[in-house]
Amino acid sequence: MRIMREALAGTLESSDLMVRIAPRAEGLEIVLQSEVIHQFGIQIEKVVRETLARLDVVDALVVIEDKGALDCVIKARVQTAVLRATVAPGDALSPRRIADAPVDWSALS
Amino acid sequence: MTIDRQQARRAGIGVGPLGLTDPSSAEHGNDFLSFAAYDRVLPKAGTMTEEIVSYAIDPATQPDEQADVRDLLAQCGLDYEIGVEAFVVFRRQRRLIACAGLEKNILKCTAIDPALRGESLGLKLLTEIVHLAHERGHSHLFLYTKPDNVDFFRSCGFYLLAEVPGSVALMENTPIGIRRYCDRLQTQRRAGKVIGSVVMNANPFTRGHRYLVECAAAACDWLHVFVVAEDASLFSYRDRFALVESGIRDIPRVTLHHGSEYTVSRATFSAYFFKDKGIVGDCCTAIDLLIFRNYIAPALGITHRFVGTEPFCPTTHKYNADMQHWLREDVTSAPPIAVVEIRRCVHDAVPISASEVRRLLQAGDLARIRGLVPPATFALLEAKYHIDRSSAA
Repeated sequence: MRIMREALAGTLESSDLMVRIAPRAEGLEIVLQSEVIHQFGIQIEKVVRETLARLDVVDALVVIEDKGALDCVIKARVQTAVLRATVAPGDALSPRRIADAPVDWSALS
Repeated sequence: MTIDRQQARRAGIGVGPLGLTDPSSAEHGNDFLSFAAYDRVLPKAGTMTEEIVSYAIDPATQPDEQADVRDLLAQCGLDYEIGVEAFVVFRRQRRLIACAGLEKNILKCTAIDPALRGESLGLKLLTEIVHLAHERGHSHLFLYTKPDNVDFFRSCGFYLLAEVPGSVALMENTPIGIRRYCDRLQTQRRAGKVIGSVVMNANPFTRGHRYLVECAAAACDWLHVFVVAEDASLFSYRDRFALVESGIRDIPRVTLHHGSEYTVSRATFSAYFFKDKGIVGDCCTAIDLLIFRNYIAPALGITHRFVGTEPFCPTTHKYNADMQHWLREDVTSAPPIAVVEIRRCVHDAVPISASEVRRLLQAGDLARIRGLVPPATFALLEAKYHIDRSSAA
């Protein structure tokens, strides 16, 4: 999927994370900040990369503010951010617009 | 309690108990329902005895809400700022317990009821305001705060840009903002012993600006010129940049840079009014100058900053005077930068200034402008900005 615009998903609350995704010319850049970066930094980045790979996102800047989220939460927030970011700029961004977007739902499982 | 859903919708955000989504509105084709609501969960009973309602307001059209926000800010020792275009507010029962405001991409007037601190309301509030800002098209955010609060905002995804100990700190909501900008600058680095810099608004570009760049370039191995990017002046950034570009093209050893949010911008020059107003003027120049010294100058190897003497405008005069302190003195670990004041060039015994040009333009006196600006500026003034007052008079 192509990242068309900046998008945001998640919260700053405990056990959650905020994911910010933006278009990038070439390649993937992941900037991770986490309260548990020393224990789980590598694992968090692995989940993020796998989630992006399944959605076929190859060019993106992803900035993550993690508050100790579980893997399933990380995956869900990254997926949400990606879906929101694939709506072309200028189109009204809304849940309905997202629901109508051609999405490979199997990649979200 | 009643929250005016219509008003909140107009302000561009969904209304519901904090985190409670109203799925029916999506089905009803409300394309403006906020995503933000989808990302939140309802606070657990126990930690919150009363439900919190969160929504956005437009202070200009909602005077009652604005009055409550003013009260809360006053309680917290903060002033209400008229530039704020939207607030996120939290209410518990009828009481306003937290607020955060946005002026373009700058977070302002953030306050939490002193009695309710320690309930991690701050993280919820910051989540809401970041989402609201995003919906309003601002993903890169700045905030001013007291140095004591820096750690709290750090936990909300903000990163320190510059701090004046004991008075004020400026933060941005990305760990890579200033670093990325400096990486780009670094590619424009030039070798030399004396590397100069000029920051100008050029509103509009005059013969005085041209003279300043000429003098500065002659004194340097290389000169970096920045045009203030903030579109808050009479002349648009596009026009200002184009005029500077054509006006200094023939001067050798000069690089012209686009301005950024990190030099003389709404963010670095914001007048965040703390209770102690006397300190504000100082701090505002300090933050901007510290960012220049700590990040921008090292990226380009800048050793000197050139300014024109300022006989008219007290604010610019103060900015120039403050440069001597914040760029040169031992206030930070970054190397000092020499500040060189160049006497303004004079036309008919009066120093040339852009403010004078704007005044003459306002008065419709194009004839006298001609001597103050290069032909390209004059042509633009005539074509685009001149309002013919002669017929009215």
